[in-house]
Amino acid sequence: MTKAEHGAALEITDEQIDQICEEFGNREGSVVQVLQIIQEKYGYVPAEVLERVGDDLGIPHSKMFGVLTFYSQFYQEPRGKFILKVCVGTACHVRGAELLVDKIKENLHIEAGENTEDMMFTLEPVACLGSCALAPMAMVNGNSFGKLSPDRMLEMIHQFQEEEASENKESVSAS
Amino acid sequence: MVKVTINGKEVEVEPGKTILHAAEKAGFPIPTFCYNPRMDPAGACRICAVELEDSKRTVMGCITAVSDGMKVLTESAKVHDARKTNLELLLLHHPLDCPVCDCGGECPLQNMSFAYGAADSRFESHRNDEPEDMKSDVLVFNSNRCILCGKCVRICDEIQDVHAIGFINRGFDTIIGPPLGKKLDCEFCGDCLEICPTGAITDKFVRYQFRPWQMEKIETTCSSCGSGCRMLVDTESEAIVRISSQEGLGPNEGSICVVGRFGFNHVQNHSRLDKPLIKKEHRLVPGTWSEVLPRIADRLKSIVSGGSGRVAGLVSSRTPLEDAFLFQRFIRQTLRSNYIDSGARRGMMNIAKPLALATGTLRPLVDNEDIIGAEVIVVIGADPAVESNITGLAIKKAVRKNRSRLYLVHGQDVSVSTRAKEVIKLLPNSEAAFLELLRKVLAAGGSLDTASKDLLVKIGASVEGVENLLSDLSSSRKVVFVTGRRFHHSDAGYEASEALIALLKERGLWEQEGSGIFPLPELGNDMGVLMMGASYEWLPGLLDSGNPDNRKVWGTHWGTTLDSPGGGLKEILAGIEEGKIRALITLGENPFEYIPDSEFLRKTLGKLELLVVIDQHQTEIADVAHFLLPSASSFERPGHLVSAEGFVQPTAPSMAYWGESLPDAEILLRLVRQMGASLPFENFSSISQEIFKIFPDLRPSTRNGSHFQGKTGEIILALPTPSTPHKALRETVVSKIRGWEAGVSPGQAPKAEGQEPSGNEFMFQFSKSINHSGTFTTHDSNLMTIEGSGLLRVPRQWARKMKVKKGNCVLVRSAHGTISLPVDPVAGLSDREVHFPIHFADERTLALFGKDIVWNHRSGVPSGQTLSVTLEPVV
Repeated sequence: MTKAEHGAALEITDEQIDQICEEFGNREGSVVQVLQIIQEKYGYVPAEVLERVGDDLGIPHSKMFGVLTFYSQFYQEPRGKFILKVCVGTACHVRGAELLVDKIKENLHIEAGENTEDMMFTLEPVACLGSCALAPMAMVNGNSFGKLSPDRMLEMIHQFQEEEASENKESVSAS
Repeated sequence: MVKVTINGKEVEVEPGKTILHAAEKAGFPIPTFCYNPRMDPAGACRICAVELEDSKRTVMGCITAVSDGMKVLTESAKVHDARKTNLELLLLHHPLDCPVCDCGGECPLQNMSFAYGAADSRFESHRNDEPEDMKSDVLVFNSNRCILCGKCVRICDEIQDVHAIGFINRGFDTIIGPPLGKKLDCEFCGDCLEICPTGAITDKFVRYQFRPWQMEKIETTCSSCGSGCRMLVDTESEAIVRISSQEGLGPNEGSICVVGRFGFNHVQNHSRLDKPLIKKEHRLVPGTWSEVLPRIADRLKSIVSGGSGRVAGLVSSRTPLEDAFLFQRFIRQTLRSNYIDSGARRGMMNIAKPLALATGTLRPLVDNEDIIGAEVIVVIGADPAVESNITGLAIKKAVRKNRSRLYLVHGQDVSVSTRAKEVIKLLPNSEAAFLELLRKVLAAGGSLDTASKDLLVKIGASVEGVENLLSDLSSSRKVVFVTGRRFHHSDAGYEASEALIALLKERGLWEQEGSGIFPLPELGNDMGVLMMGASYEWLPGLLDSGNPDNRKVWGTHWGTTLDSPGGGLKEILAGIEEGKIRALITLGENPFEYIPDSEFLRKTLGKLELLVVIDQHQTEIADVAHFLLPSASSFERPGHLVSAEGFVQPTAPSMAYWGESLPDAEILLRLVRQMGASLPFENFSSISQEIFKIFPDLRPSTRNGSHFQGKTGEIILALPTPSTPHKALRETVVSKIRGWEAGVSPGQAPKAEGQEPSGNEFMFQFSKSINHSGTFTTHDSNLMTIEGSGLLRVPRQWARKMKVKKGNCVLVRSAHGTISLPVDPVAGLSDREVHFPIHFADERTLALFGKDIVWNHRSGVPSGQTLSVTLEPVV
């Protein structure tokens, strides 16, 4: 999976959207895939983009908004460069997932679902990532990190920040 | 047929029908929330639960198809339990704020809870308490009260095809509203408001202003356009509170448009005339009926005593049959003049006259049902959803349900464009050339030669689109042509109509059941006033007034001799100029709205010895009027209107006369008596009786006759009732059309093709807005809230290029003047056209057209709907 780019900083042109839609033959049924690709590229689905996709696929804006709001995978607002998906499912919960979440809140000054001011991080507690053996675990931009502790979490955050500072564009590798 | 037993009673229904239909037929109606006979069933609310006797299972009545031998119980204990449980669940989150809910008293959810006693719930949950969505000026969305039956979303999708609202979020959080948290932006038909079974969607205009049980509902016909929609006027103490409708009612089946539903305030607005006014020393001062009528009568008597043809009359085409019939008889008999004209000339004379000459009738051979069943629909120079809403709905249904192929020939995308197989953009005033070309090509085998292709390119049409149209035209048997404002107003409108008639003849479509021409009239009774003889060329019954035999027929009947030749608006204005016509009586008609040169008009009308204006509002004509008489509106007086489909439907009085205003017929009859003359009518109903006696085919008719039961909040199934014939008789038309040939133009025929605007010029054109009807509704506070000013609709591409945004002003320059107008950039407009809503056309806008009035030689329709302009953004 590719790393999400900085959503807020990117301009998405109408031509780019048209091109994505055309790849799917402008079929009405491909709406979810088109939105997924857009979100993957830009981190969220802005209103104008949603409308353009609707126009391309022949779906009314009201229906497009219905699809967008039905699936929790889609976002209407820009999101941080690093999405911190912290598992708070049963196994992770038992092994102290709450402590990880608290650590992030405390250090980045954000609540669940919020972005940091510099648009670097988004905190997103999720129900289960299916890797209970690695509990407590988290997933950042598609990469899994297992057997975490609050300190290790903090370390990771610092690592991401440094990476960004040195403008290292390479994907974050699994620890 | 399938045999089903409902509560022990056996009925036969067609296979594929649902239990709901079978039960309805057996006389056991099943309660519903989400079901609507016009839409696909959804099975969302689950209140229509019924029990299958054999399997002891409960199933949903609205989505379960019947099978042979099925035994259904609709009122068993099990059914009762299921419905009660469903209600308990529906009421879990519903706030029970009925005392402050506008829907309380006509609420199906409330009624059903009352019937099943489900207000006490065994379940515990929180009541929803979200703030209401108040962003729209028209509708309020209250998500707390919503039971998510989805009817509003479905009617917006399936019937209106507008898709303005949808489901948002998922599960318990689901709400209904416009997308992206925006303000509701739609056609404001209000169908969702009407169909909502709770108070989740309410009317912002009348919020907290009524209690349903205190209102009286009066069924009437809307006169705003030619659709002939039946609607209910909800009144309290003889004042209108709101307009509503009833599922399945009338030809409109319960749907009404924004003008019908929200445009009723202009009749109870303080700008209305409430007293007769007399001109004294250049000022209009209030008078009394007993003062003004003798004065008018005296002046009329002295003018008429000087000879015939000295008085002229103009009548609005909203006027019901009775008033129009009386008016023309008053002018022709009492005032001995054939100078008579009506707004219907502008509205549809360009097509009415050739149609009447060719077919002998104005009634169409096809109606909206035929449109739904048509293989090919060609909409030419019309915007159906705007000009005649239910025809727009019929076209949408035809495409959606029957896959009819829709061709749209216009200068812009209109609301049905997205459903069209081809949108053929045509330069203004090119319809005649276009249709003549189609006819010739079809006669020659159906393929386009180089010369034809060149002509098509010249008039702006896409060759490929026309090729598709030609192939569909030559292979289809059910073809309906819908014509409208742009077509009827085009410079060569008359010639275009003849070309259309000839095209149908060429293809043999006149003989084909389900094929024909369907013109959209401009106002509520265009066809009716013409049938009643409110134009100089036709005596009542479309008899040519130039023929002495016809004059004798009516003269003998009325006990008088009838004058000829007289004339229409053109001849009337010329007659006044010459000093031959001394007096003019206008009934709801205001030439200042459409004659571009207001200075000329003011000067000409100023020469009159007597100008009597009968109207509801004071307009520009008041400056030169000697008497201004207040007239009762269509909500105050009875009458009959002829719809586009040919139905003759009554309007019913629902409010008290405004101030001292009187119905038109009453004013005219009093005037006749005052003059010492006599017409054999004692009252209004004696005029109706006379009309129905002479013209038995004009007796009232409708589709889905009244089944309104007067009970609020009750949902009833629309069962079609047989109606009296409203369409023209095909055999008669066919025999007449065989001998028909297009006439020869007496004067110089107008150019059959439009001119492409040169350089940076645009074609400026007047068009109708969906939110208004005539200039009447610009007095309406509700409709003015929705659309309060005239915005020049400009192509979006151009606006983007020039960096002009909505509301910015541009200088519009024609050969005759320059004005500044705010713009509205719209998509889909042909890139060389700009449109301005005719409702907001004032002296300034009309002055762009200069002083020359060009009249179509054969129909007498004044042109002046298109001209070349340049646009320049105001910095």
